[in-house]
Amino acid sequence: MSGSAPDTVIAAPRANSRTLQRGVLGIVLFILAWEGIARGFHLPAYTLPAVSDILASIWTKRQILLTAAGFTITEAVVGYVIGALIGVALAVVITLVPMTRAVLLPAATAINSVPVVAYSPLILLWFGIGMPSKFVMVALAVSFTVFLSTLAGFDRVDRRSVDLLRSFGAGRLAILWRLRLPTALPLMAAGLRVSTVRSIIVAIVTEMLGAYGGLGWVIYQAVLQIDFVQVWGAIFVASAASLAFFGLIGFAERRIIFWK
Amino acid sequence: MSASTLSHPASAPGGSSSLKLLLPLLRLLRGLAILVAVFALWEALVVVFAIRPYYLPRPSVIFAALWQTPAPYVQGFLRTLTETLIGFASGAAFGIGIGLVFFRLRALRELVFPLFIVSQTIPVIAFGALVVLWFGNTLFAKAAIAFYLTFFPVTVNTLLGLESVDPRQEALLRSFGASPRQLMMRLQFPTALPQIFVALRLASSLALVGAIVGEWFGDTVGLGVLLLQGMYTENVVSIWATLLVSAFLGTTFYAVVAGAERLFVFWGAEQ
Repeated sequence: MSGSAPDTVIAAPRANSRTLQRGVLGIVLFILAWEGIARGFHLPAYTLPAVSDILASIWTKRQILLTAAGFTITEAVVGYVIGALIGVALAVVITLVPMTRAVLLPAATAINSVPVVAYSPLILLWFGIGMPSKFVMVALAVSFTVFLSTLAGFDRVDRRSVDLLRSFGAGRLAILWRLRLPTALPLMAAGLRVSTVRSIIVAIVTEMLGAYGGLGWVIYQAVLQIDFVQVWGAIFVASAASLAFFGLIGFAERRIIFWK
Repeated sequence: MSASTLSHPASAPGGSSSLKLLLPLLRLLRGLAILVAVFALWEALVVVFAIRPYYLPRPSVIFAALWQTPAPYVQGFLRTLTETLIGFASGAAFGIGIGLVFFRLRALRELVFPLFIVSQTIPVIAFGALVVLWFGNTLFAKAAIAFYLTFFPVTVNTLLGLESVDPRQEALLRSFGASPRQLMMRLQFPTALPQIFVALRLASSLALVGAIVGEWFGDTVGLGVLLLQGMYTENVVSIWATLLVSAFLGTTFYAVVAGAERLFVFWGAEQ
């Protein structure tokens, strides 16, 4: 997972009305096709339940799903904030004290050479199956992405601008605040945006291995009870939560980085 | 002066090629040295601060475990590697193919692309339960999850790359009578290649994630299975050994893809 800044992978959300219409049309057609196939071929629920059945099940079990979603979103958001803070802090430390780069960067890359989800058994053993283990997992997943994109942003600054500010007597801190941070913001924001979806997914993955509640726990229980309508219901809710989180951060990004 | 410029081209290729061979070797040696230093530091820290093995076992203990019972780790490594490779190859091929189709058919892209984005917000592991149900508990079920994680970034970056082609270059080639096919092979695809490789590098890590998570659904062999078994038996040493093997697999695969990138994108437009 080392290397590229994540901004190259997910394009910034941009849409005009025609694109939007087509997109909505595509989703509607997809749902109709799904419904038609599931009903037309009388597919059993364990193969593919109809969308209407899933939505009905979400409505009847809304209490369970809402509680679970609240659980998962809390874990994801707390872990996300911790991870983002750690990521930015590490990038700031490396920029202010360049000596630390030789230690911190390889260490972060080494930790990240293992796929994040592979840590979850270990983290569950260390922190128990309550919420703290999910905070740690989400923070771990988010911090590296944010760290890399922030560092890439700080490094992107034009050498000559740094020299100019320095010639006016600006210290490292002033250069960081007045020049590097504004330059880095678009890349940082891209890292933060990509991390939103990842944070919810990682929270759910960790919940499935052990938890007292949450969407992952609901999915796991539903799999055990062979209740696949419920699995799909939880998937729908998780997907909606991820999209909402993604949209929220994207909205904040457009507000804060108005010059982009 | 003329003598030196004459002799230079003759001597240069030999010198640069031996240097080219030496440089990666030196880099590899430096990486190994850092690795040894890290393990030494780790060992020292655990001993000095008397950290309980439950939290952090000594690396020597982990390597001893790997050495004494290598069979499950080797089998797990091979199994997970196979799943990763199948998922990665199919995901990359599908991603590039769909990227090309979307590039040509704008309407189709606008129709389908939002679905792709939504599909990426589905938690993989939940999907895992369904995929295992659909494909049975086979190698392909795991590869399907790796595929699912891989194809999206490749599609997006293929599109981005194809769209970054300079319209003036395109107009120039057209004015020479280039067919759409020639345009693709000579200009558009080569221009997109650096972007595609950025996604392939990312996809190499994602494919491994998919394979490991996929194994959590009732498989018997694989690195993901070893991780779960380690958790249930609270065998921290085994978990760490598996983590190290996964890191080795991930890093090697990543390095191979990055190597292929240097080979194919020799003009180095990116980086």
